[in-house]
Amino acid sequence: MSSPPLIAVVDDDEAVREALCDLFQVEGLSARGFEGAAAFLHGYAPNRFDLVITDIRMPQVDGFEFLRRLRTVEAAPPAIVLTSLSDDATRAQAVAEGARACLTKPVTDAALLELVGSILGRRATDAPEG
Amino acid sequence: MESVGGSDSAACWEVDLSQVRALIDAAAVGDEWPDWVAALLHGARIADVNELGLQLVGSSVARGLMIGQPVASFCPPESWTILAELIVAVATDRPDHGVRRSAIDSFMFRNATLSVWGAPGDAAPDMLWVAVDGEMAEDRSFWAVRASEQRYRRLLHHLPGALLQVDARAMGAIFYQLRSEGVTDLTPYLKMDGELIAAAHNLVRVTDANQGAMHLFGAASLDEMMGAIGYVFAADPEVARRVVIAHFEGRRTLVEVMKLRTLDGRERDVQLTVTFPTPPERLDVSLMSFEDITDRLRTEAQLRQLQADYSRAARISMLGELATSIAHEVNQPLSAIVTNAETSQRWLSKDEPNLAKVAQLTARIADSARRASDIVQRIRGMAARRAPERVPLDLNEIVHEALVFVGHELETRSILLTLDLDPCLPPVAGDRVQLQQVVVNLILNAAQALGRGGPDRRIALCTTRTLDASVAFAIDDNGPGISEADLDRIFDSFFTTKEEGVGIGLAICQSIIAAHGGTIEACNHREGGALFRFTLPVADA
Repeated sequence: MSSPPLIAVVDDDEAVREALCDLFQVEGLSARGFEGAAAFLHGYAPNRFDLVITDIRMPQVDGFEFLRRLRTVEAAPPAIVLTSLSDDATRAQAVAEGARACLTKPVTDAALLELVGSILGRRATDAPEG
Repeated sequence: MESVGGSDSAACWEVDLSQVRALIDAAAVGDEWPDWVAALLHGARIADVNELGLQLVGSSVARGLMIGQPVASFCPPESWTILAELIVAVATDRPDHGVRRSAIDSFMFRNATLSVWGAPGDAAPDMLWVAVDGEMAEDRSFWAVRASEQRYRRLLHHLPGALLQVDARAMGAIFYQLRSEGVTDLTPYLKMDGELIAAAHNLVRVTDANQGAMHLFGAASLDEMMGAIGYVFAADPEVARRVVIAHFEGRRTLVEVMKLRTLDGRERDVQLTVTFPTPPERLDVSLMSFEDITDRLRTEAQLRQLQADYSRAARISMLGELATSIAHEVNQPLSAIVTNAETSQRWLSKDEPNLAKVAQLTARIADSARRASDIVQRIRGMAARRAPERVPLDLNEIVHEALVFVGHELETRSILLTLDLDPCLPPVAGDRVQLQQVVVNLILNAAQALGRGGPDRRIALCTTRTLDASVAFAIDDNGPGISEADLDRIFDSFFTTKEEGVGIGLAICQSIIAAHGGTIEACNHREGGALFRFTLPVADA
């Protein structure tokens, strides 16, 4: 039997991190916050997280670089970009770097939860029977 | 020779000793104290004077001003001791009060002799005569002095600018009285006694004025300007106070910028220069000159306004360069607010709402809202149109405030920032927003020089106190540095090496630092990269 889905929230802004984790909590989803790409990748274990949500503008490693590095790890979870940058170039680059979707902050709870739900649901059906 | 009026070869004064009798008796038995000479000559009053005596120290119209005044006011200080000793010797030589003489230096006589004598017997023991006699100096003859006076009057009347001749001798007696009461610093005394300035307004008198003064004051005739000086300081009484203090302290000149209300009701800004006389100059002639600086001040104000507009324009341009960073910074708390509010609604719509969680989320909403508001306030401060001010500031605080604007930009560009701030900096006097602007500009400039790519990009900020009582700020980066050709014109307006820049950032830095009395310079440091450094004078305590 598979464990309940776990979501990683990667954002250098503590207020944003906490808000997203609380939103997932109210819908019965588990989430954990990371203040940067390095913190997430440092203790990475395959299959631990079912979804990554990341910001783009972050110190040291930005969101695009994070998506690049994420593609190199074993059994990388799907990623959603959630950013203040609302231009088409950012959106296109995020998708090109492997993001499933790119949402603009502030995001509505319904839009985010629907997207998360669809990715997690698909992942559940995609998951090999075991 | 006992009648003062009868002597025409000597300058002669009749002196009343009634106020200094006890002092003379004490001095006669050697019971002296350091200031006894000054005290005696200030207490001894002039009872009468002959024509030559008037010419010697003043003018022929001065008799009224001279009678009743202290002898000290009309005797050059270098002769005070000789005169005081002669007075004591004659006054105590009972009953003859015979003549005593002593040689003195005089500007009017060669081989001058000072004589003091009294009436024999003790019919009038408090009255003595004092005479100065000698061979009339040719170039200082009676007529030469009179001619020189005429020349002086002509000079005064034809000098350009506005000049007042002022007789401030009455203050001498008041100052002596104050000193004898132990007043050594007039500033605190004037705080308690408001009467003295009012008295000075009446006692100090304008005795002559030139055409320039009449024009400046809008006077129709010379008569309007003569007499009590109060009208000169009507619009700026504080300056009258400082003039009196300078006179009391024995200063030679005083320069003040002040408001002047003219006799025909206009208001002008003037620079006043007062020159107080010292012996052997004529003690009745203080000179006040006025320069009308109204137009100059107006031009300076317009210039300051232009500079303020220019620096505001540069700040807005700078905010434009930071727009993406700032938008992100404001959007983060707003984003958290939206999500927290929606999460709260989800909790509240459940059958068993988690009210503790809702309370926590509501508190977070308030925190984020405050944070967003702070950011907006800071931006508004940078963009606001306001006159620059001068307040004591901690340069380290300015650096931290500047980092609020550019910190995120540096993080996004993955630039490593190091701070080396001297914790014991004295305050500088300046405008907070303008100095923030300088620091932000310099940091932004360094960040742009470092470009976007490449590992190990660093900016170092440092504040120190310098040896010459200044505070210094330095910023260096490990970018490409400044080319030799550009070093000379790097602070010029519209000079830029950046494609997107308009080149006012460094020019505005220089103009702001210069307006603060400081200097700014640019160079390349030994390990490569650019180094900018500015210094600001420490604020007056």
